[in-house]
Amino acid sequence: MLPTITVNDEKCKEPISCRKCLLICPTHVLGLGTDVGPQKFREIDPSHFIVRAVRFDKCSGCMDCVNVCPQNAIQVSFSGGDAR
Amino acid sequence: MCDWCEKYGNGYERWYFNPSNYARRLYKIRKEEAEASGAEANPQAAGGMAFVGRDFLEARERGDMAEVERTKQQIEGAMWLTHFGQVITLEEALKITDIMYPISLITCACRRSMEGLPDDENFTCMGMGAGMYKWERWPDTYRGGVHFLTPDEAKEVLAKLNKRGLVHSIYTFGTPYLAGLCNCDYPDCAAIRTAIDLEIKILWKGHYVAKIDPELCNGCASCVHRCQFRALSFVPNRNKAYIDQLQCFGCGLCATECDQEAITLVERAGLPALANVW
Ligand code: SF4
Ligand code: SF4
Ligand code: SF4
Ligand code: SF4
Repeated sequence: MLPTITVNDEKCKEPISCRKCLLICPTHVLGLGTDVGPQKFREIDPSHFIVRAVRFDKCSGCMDCVNVCPQNAIQVSFSGGDAR
Repeated sequence: MCDWCEKYGNGYERWYFNPSNYARRLYKIRKEEAEASGAEANPQAAGGMAFVGRDFLEARERGDMAEVERTKQQIEGAMWLTHFGQVITLEEALKITDIMYPISLITCACRRSMEGLPDDENFTCMGMGAGMYKWERWPDTYRGGVHFLTPDEAKEVLAKLNKRGLVHSIYTFGTPYLAGLCNCDYPDCAAIRTAIDLEIKILWKGHYVAKIDPELCNGCASCVHRCQFRALSFVPNRNKAYIDQLQCFGCGLCATECDQEAITLVERAGLPALANVW
C-alpha cells in the first residue's frame, strides 16, 4: 500500500544541516530539493531547501522519520486519504 | 545492436568512443535550443531527477499494466532525448579520459539530495566538455566547486572510485552530447534506482554481461557486495557465486574484485537472448 507522506516546510527550517530523517529512513525514501528552480549566478539560500518523500514507493511505514524529526514536521499516513 | 551506437557511433566501436559526441558544437546546439525555448541551459534543469508521479505508482499497485507501460514509454521517450545514461566498465571509462577534455571532478547531485551529503564528502561525479568552463554560472549545480583534472588524474580517481564499489556510467545532456561520467550506487543514484525499482530505462545496460566460471570460483563471496543491480547472489549449496545474466548491467565491478579471475565480461551482442536486452 502506498503512503501519503507530507513534510511541513514551516517547521522544517534547516533540512541541510539537520537531515536526520534522510539518514534514518531504512529504505532511503526522503530526499532534499528546493522550492525554487536552479538559480543562475546565485547559490540557493538554505531556507529554500525542502524535504520530500521522493521514493515513497519504498516506504514501509516504520515511522522512524516521524519519530526522529525534532520539529515534528513529518506525517506518514496509510489511510489512503490526504494526510494534510 | 545498441540503438545509440547505431545512431551515434559513426564507425566507432561504441557511441561513447566517438569524439564528436563530446564536441563543443553539440554543447552549443543544446544550449541554444534550451535558451530558445525559454529555459536556461543548466545541466541540472536538462534532466535532473527523473520525476515519477503518484499516478504511475498507483497504476503499478493496482496492476494496470497498460497505464504503467504508457507512462513508462512517455518518460523514457522524453529522457532519451535529453538526459539518460549507459553503464560502462572501468576500462571504458579510462579510455574516455583520453578522448575527452576537460574533465572535472564535481559533487554528486543525487547523493546531495538523498543523503544531504556535505560537499567535501561528495566528490564522486565527473563533468566533461566545454560546458564545464562555465560552471560558475550555476553555483548550486556545482556546489563545492570544480576540480579540473588531467587525464592521468582522472584515471586515478576512477580507479579509486571503482575500488570503493561505484558503478561508472556515461550521461547525455541533450542527446547525443555526452557530458557526465558518473560513479554511482544503489539506492541513492536516481538513475540506478529508477532503472531497478521502477524498471524505467533511464540507465541503459552496458555492452557486456558478466559470467562466472564455476571451475575457478572458490566460493570466497568477496564479489557479492559489488553488484548494485541485484544480478549477483551466492548459492550456498554449491558454494559459488551466481550471476543472473538477464539482470546483469555489465558494469564489471564483480570481475575487478575476483582474485581468482573467475568472472569474465562477455559481449552482450554475442548472446542471442541478451543482444537486445538493454
Ligand atoms: S515511515 Fe519509515 S520507511 Fe517510511 S519514510 Fe519514514 S522512515 Fe522511511
Ligand atoms: S528531521 Fe525534520 S527537521 Fe530535520 S530535515 Fe527531516 S523533516 Fe526537516
Ligand atoms: S570473488 Fe570470484 S572466487 Fe570469490 S565468489 Fe566471487 S566469483 Fe567466486
Ligand atoms: S553481475 Fe557483475 S557486471 Fe553484472 S551488474 Fe552485477 S556487478 Fe555488474
